[in-house]
Formats: sequence, structure tokens, C-alpha cells
Amino acid sequence: MTKSSKEPLIRVVKRQGIKTWQICLLYLGAVILALGIGAVLLLFLKANPFEYYEMMFTLNTVGNKMAYIQYETYIQELVPLLITSLALSLAFKMRFWNIGGEGQFFLGALAGAAVAFMIPTSANVFLTIFLMVVAGSLVGGLIGLSTAALKVKFNTNETLFTLMINYIALYIMRFFGETKADWNIFLRPDSERPKFNQIPDNAKMFTIPIGKFSLELSFILVILLVAVVYFYLKHTKQGYEIAVVGDSINTARYAGMKVNKVICRTMFMSAALIGAAGALRVSSVYALSDTISNDVGWTGIVVAWLAKLNPIGIVIVSALITILQCGSVVASSNFSNVDSHFADLLQGIILFVVLAADFFIRFKIVFRKKNTEKQSKEANV
Amino acid sequence: MKKVLSLVLALVMLFSFAVVTGCGGNSDSSEDDFLVGAIYINGKNDTAGYTFAHHNGITKAMEQLGMDVSKQLKIVDNVPEDDAQVTNAINTLASQGCKIIIGISFGYINAMEAAAEKYPEIIFSHATGYLSNDKNFNNYFGRIYQARYLAGIAAGKKSLALGNNNIGYVAAYGTEYAETCSGINAFALGVQAINPDAKVHVMKLNAWANESLERQFAEQLITQYGCGVIAQHCDSAQPQIAAQDKGVFGCGYNSDMTSQAANAHLTAPIWNWDVYYKLAIETAKNDPDNFMTKVGIYYGGLKEGFVDISPLTNNCEEGTKEIIDAVKAMMVSGEWDVFTNVKLSIAADGTITKVDGAMLDNKGGEVISADNTYYVYADGALKAVDGGAAAQDGVIKGSMNWYVAGVEEK
Repeated sequence: MTKSSKEPLIRVVKRQGIKTWQICLLYLGAVILALGIGAVLLLFLKANPFEYYEMMFTLNTVGNKMAYIQYETYIQELVPLLITSLALSLAFKMRFWNIGGEGQFFLGALAGAAVAFMIPTSANVFLTIFLMVVAGSLVGGLIGLSTAALKVKFNTNETLFTLMINYIALYIMRFFGETKADWNIFLRPDSERPKFNQIPDNAKMFTIPIGKFSLELSFILVILLVAVVYFYLKHTKQGYEIAVVGDSINTARYAGMKVNKVICRTMFMSAALIGAAGALRVSSVYALSDTISNDVGWTGIVVAWLAKLNPIGIVIVSALITILQCGSVVASSNFSNVDSHFADLLQGIILFVVLAADFFIRFKIVFRKKNTEKQSKEANV
Repeated sequence: MKKVLSLVLALVMLFSFAVVTGCGGNSDSSEDDFLVGAIYINGKNDTAGYTFAHHNGITKAMEQLGMDVSKQLKIVDNVPEDDAQVTNAINTLASQGCKIIIGISFGYINAMEAAAEKYPEIIFSHATGYLSNDKNFNNYFGRIYQARYLAGIAAGKKSLALGNNNIGYVAAYGTEYAETCSGINAFALGVQAINPDAKVHVMKLNAWANESLERQFAEQLITQYGCGVIAQHCDSAQPQIAAQDKGVFGCGYNSDMTSQAANAHLTAPIWNWDVYYKLAIETAKNDPDNFMTKVGIYYGGLKEGFVDISPLTNNCEEGTKEIIDAVKAMMVSGEWDVFTNVKLSIAADGTITKVDGAMLDNKGGEVISADNTYYVYADGALKAVDGGAAAQDGVIKGSMNWYVAGVEEK
């Protein structure tokens, strides 16, 4: 009796020595389980789950003459998510909770669009895109720097700070989108209703044609970025400093690191990359909107954590999540009973189950010792 | 570890078993040749509102044309007015082989314009827009102002019977948008045709839909300004419900709102979207090369049956139906229209007389002159609009920015 009152029925204990193949199997099982739950829901909606999933995972490109369009869309969606996730992982590695990806993305997009509309249309495509990215990353970076500076000077809470800037940025975007005035360079001049204008041709993303398919310049940039971030975190002094600050600020101080400088520098980089992603997004989709971020500031957090802040992992996870997002649109357009909200639901189920699997990889549940368990069972009977 | 693994595997097997047994080998018969694509701002499973009205119109039209909606209609829904997402939706529909792509929301305009150039073999049809080309991109909207004029007559007749010259109007926007502005004016002109002393008090939401504000404004119009009839240009039936709760009357919009406010509702201006969709889909299917000459920029009205009013309820005054039928016949035949240099004057016994003369706005400016020239405000002054009937339609659809005399914005 005394033993059972001391020891709870269920305990959570840190798991040790789990093998890689077991981790992979658990993740795979989690995804299949989530798809199984989704399949049951699809059956309720009178849709064939096999057909639905086939269309979702292949983006309905098998035997489709216009499949290249889907691949273009896929890359267009993948790039901002990948950059944002990488950028967030820099701050997260330092245990700096930058949840302001949305806001940094919006303001970077606005800055990029401002450059696009103000630069002479005779300017070279590469120069224009370069200046857009510079403007976007400067605006994003300065916002990131300001939150970091306030954190190190006054110990403000960066979670709340970055979160609130998201809403300010969103409403700044809406203000420009809804205010018809002569000074508002972002709107279509010929429309009676306020409507964001398309950027001039010289600000539109440069593409490399490969047959019918055209590859965005930004895709090449993002691949380079993955390599750079990987190298930066693993093989440079600054990358090492980030890891040490993340583990223990006091250790970092004791080792003689300028902790405040590391925090400010890393947060500037993190936010600047997200701002650059916003500017590239404008160049890629040709216009602003108050949903231009496509929630990458939020999804990026999930991607970064699922990938354990590992750059290669981030590439894999964001590639899979983008398949889910693009594929769901294609699949639901072919099923009259399944609307696009089902895609959000399915994503939610998958993330939930995968995160649960993640929990079981790191921890195990231990039940009370057998003899006491028996006693309590007998007592219940 | 093993326990957890086996549990997960067991669940997986359970679910995959459920899946396998659940679905038999149905579907995938012969491939249909003509596919219709649609992009909606809200969900395709909606049961009321703007998207519902369009979805209903498209499916009804396709059924009338003998098409299989479940196979031949591809929809991407819940698409916000974001160029990237609209472009993705268009790309999805195009790569599935749709031959006509319908976009129902104004903000799809940029993406549809660009797509029309990118996909010359697909027809793009855009509701409420103002852009087009001469091959494969049109826009469509309706003369809903004609129906609003008729609803105004019902409201005016009611106000005479109530002895209350105050009429309220809950509007999404005011003079900012020609769509709301022309609607308010047409309604006011209909009211004044039968009750020249009536005033239309407008309160605007500054949003296309805001249910709680819609109700609040209707209540304010009734209690503060003493309005006896509440008209509306907004999404929900809240203004009608508020009118019923306060014991006054009202005219709804978009759909027959009698079921929501049976004791208050008079009639509502409504859309019959299937009329347009039938024409557009049929032409795109049978004669796509001549789509722009056969359908073109579509602006149908009472004559085409594209707009109408819902059946008059018993709340309407006696004799309302006869007057409305007569005025409707004048608009259907093209004998007379709302925004002209001729006004209608309807006597108590229902006699309709035409009165020539300029139309004045509520600041005393001449907005339609005696020789039927339209004027709109530009930089604070009225400027003439030239270019004939098409340009005049352009004013009603796109640039009208004045209220007729008797309209007051609160």
C-alpha cells in the first residue's frame, strides 16, 4: 500500500538507446496511421481513399500531359517554406523563440515589392531581384535585430514580442492593400476597387526553361542556402557559438563568448533570411496579398522541430509537407464532396500523430511494478 | 518499445482493413470530354451565401445541359484573393484538362488576366471584374439595380401606407464602390417614384459581410432614425430579422429571405446565376472560338431573367404587384430604364407617368443631364462621361460615385 501511494500508476521516463531504424519505422507507422484515420473520414464523405491519396501523392501528374505545371507550382510553394524553416532553425538552435516568421515575411515582401515598383522598368532582371532581396532582408533583419536588442538590454520576452509584430505586419499589409490613394504604388491604378498590382516584368522571377518546365532561379539559390547553413552551423566558430549559447548562456559567458553579440547577430540573420524569402515570393508570384506568406511562419516552426533543427532534415520534411499541401488541392478538386478544408484537417492529423510518435521516441511510459498492479486490480474487482 | 510498436502496427492494420473493406471497385468509367473548372472564395459545401449561389447556378446549368456534375465539374474552393493561390488553383484546373475556368470573386482579376494569356486554349470567365480580351477572357455581372428599383417600389408603397417617410438601408459600402452605390440609388429612385417625400438613410459596414454589425445597424436605423422599412446590400439576413423583431418591414438581398423573417420581408432582389452559366458553358463547349462574340462582356438584367425579385409576400401592400409587373415590363421591353433622363411617377391608383428632366444628386449637382449625359465626380467636380451606352453601363458597374437626392449617409 505504501509503495503504490508513492509510485504513480503511469510514469514518463526518458528513453535511451533507440536505434535509427526503429525511429524510421515509428515515423512511418505514424504517417500510415494518420492516413488511415483520414481514409475513414474520406469514406464518410463517400470518396475513395485510394484514389484520393494516389492523386495527392502524385499531384495527379502520372500520365498527365501538363504535369510540368504541377512541378512548377510545387517548387514555387517549397522555396519560401524551406528558407523560412532554415532561418527559424538558426534562432531555435540558440533557444531564441522567433515565432515572428509571418511578420518578417510580410514586411520583407512589402520591402521587395516597393523596390520592384520604384526601380526603373529598364533595370536588369538580376539587378532588380538582387535589390529586392537586399531590401527584404534588411527590413526583416532589422526587425529581428530590434527584438534581439530589446531582449539583451531589457530582457523582454521575445516570444510575445515577435508574435505581436506578426499582427502589426499583417495589418500594415492590409492597410496598403485597402487604401486607394495616389501615393500607394502597390495598387492597380485602373481598378476602382483597391487591388494589389502585378510587379513590372523586370522584377519577375528569372526562370530557366527545361523543355516545357521552367525552373525558378530561387530554387537554385535555396539549394545553395541549405549547403551554406549546414556548413555554418557545423563547421564555423559562429555556428559553434550558437550551439553553446543554446545549451547554456552561462557556459558561453564563462568561455568568454560575447553572448549578446551572438544573440543579436543570429537573430538578424534568421529574420533577414525570412525577409528575403518574402521578397523572393513577391518576385515569384508577381503580386502582394495579405495571405502571401501561405503561413510559412507557422508551418516553418513545425518543420524545423520535426527535422530536429537539422538542415538536411528540414529539406526532407518541407519537401514532404509541400507535397501534402499541393497534392490536397489537386485531389480535392476531383472529389465533389471533399472540400479544401479536408487538406488542412489531414495535415493536422498527420502532424499530430507524428509529434506523438516523436514523444514516444524520446520517452517511454512505465507502468507501476507488476505486484502492485495486481493488488490494485484485485482491489478494483 | 515492442509494446508501442505492436500497438501502432495493430492500429495501422485495423485502419487499412477498414479502408480495404470500405471501398469497392466503383467509379472510373469512360472519360468525359468537356470539363468545367470553378474557383470559389468559400466552400463548395456551403448552404447559403455568395459561393452557394454560384455553385447552385453552375450545377443547375450543367444539369440543364445534360452534363454529369460529379465528373465534369472540377472545383478548387476556399481560395482567397491572393494571386499566388488563384494562380495555383488555375494551374490545377488547367492541368486536369478544364476547358472553361470560372472565377467568382473580384480579387481573382490579376491571376485570371495572366492565365488567359498563358492558356489561350482555355476560356476564362470572371464574375464582377472589368477586364477582358478578344479571344478567351470575359467578365460578367448583372443589372441588379433593375431588381432593386422594383424592390424600392414595394418599400415605397409600404412607407405610404405606414405614413413613415424614413427608409433604412444597410450597405456593405457606399459611394466607394459603384456596385453598392448604384444599388442604393436604384432602390431610392424606386421608393421615390411612389413616395416622393421618402428619405433613404444609409449606414455602411465597410465590409462585404459582418453579421453582428448588420443587425446592429438595422436596429439603429429603426430606433434612432425611425425607419419603417429596412433594405440591405450585405450577406446575411440579420437586417431582416432585426426588422421583424422591431415590428417593421424589410427587403432582403441575394436570396428570398422570407423564411428568415416571415413577418417582415416584402421582397428581395435576387440573382439567377444559372442563366449566365448555361449560356457560357454551352458556348464554351460547342463554339469556343466565338465565345467572345456570342457571350462577350455579359451584363444581363430582368430581360434575360438573370436578375429578378423574389415573389412578393403578403406583407406587401395591396396593388404592389400590379405596379411592379407594369414597371418590370417596361424594363424588359427596353422602353424605359432606371438611370436615364426620364423618371417614373406612380400615383396612388397605380397610374404610371413618365417625367422628363435631369437627375440630381443629394448635393444638387446634375448627374444625368436632360440630354441623358452621365456625370461622375473626379477631383471634387462633376465630369461628363462620353462614349455611349457601353460607357454608361461602365458608370453603373464601375465609377458611379454619387447618391441621388433623398439619400443620406449616416
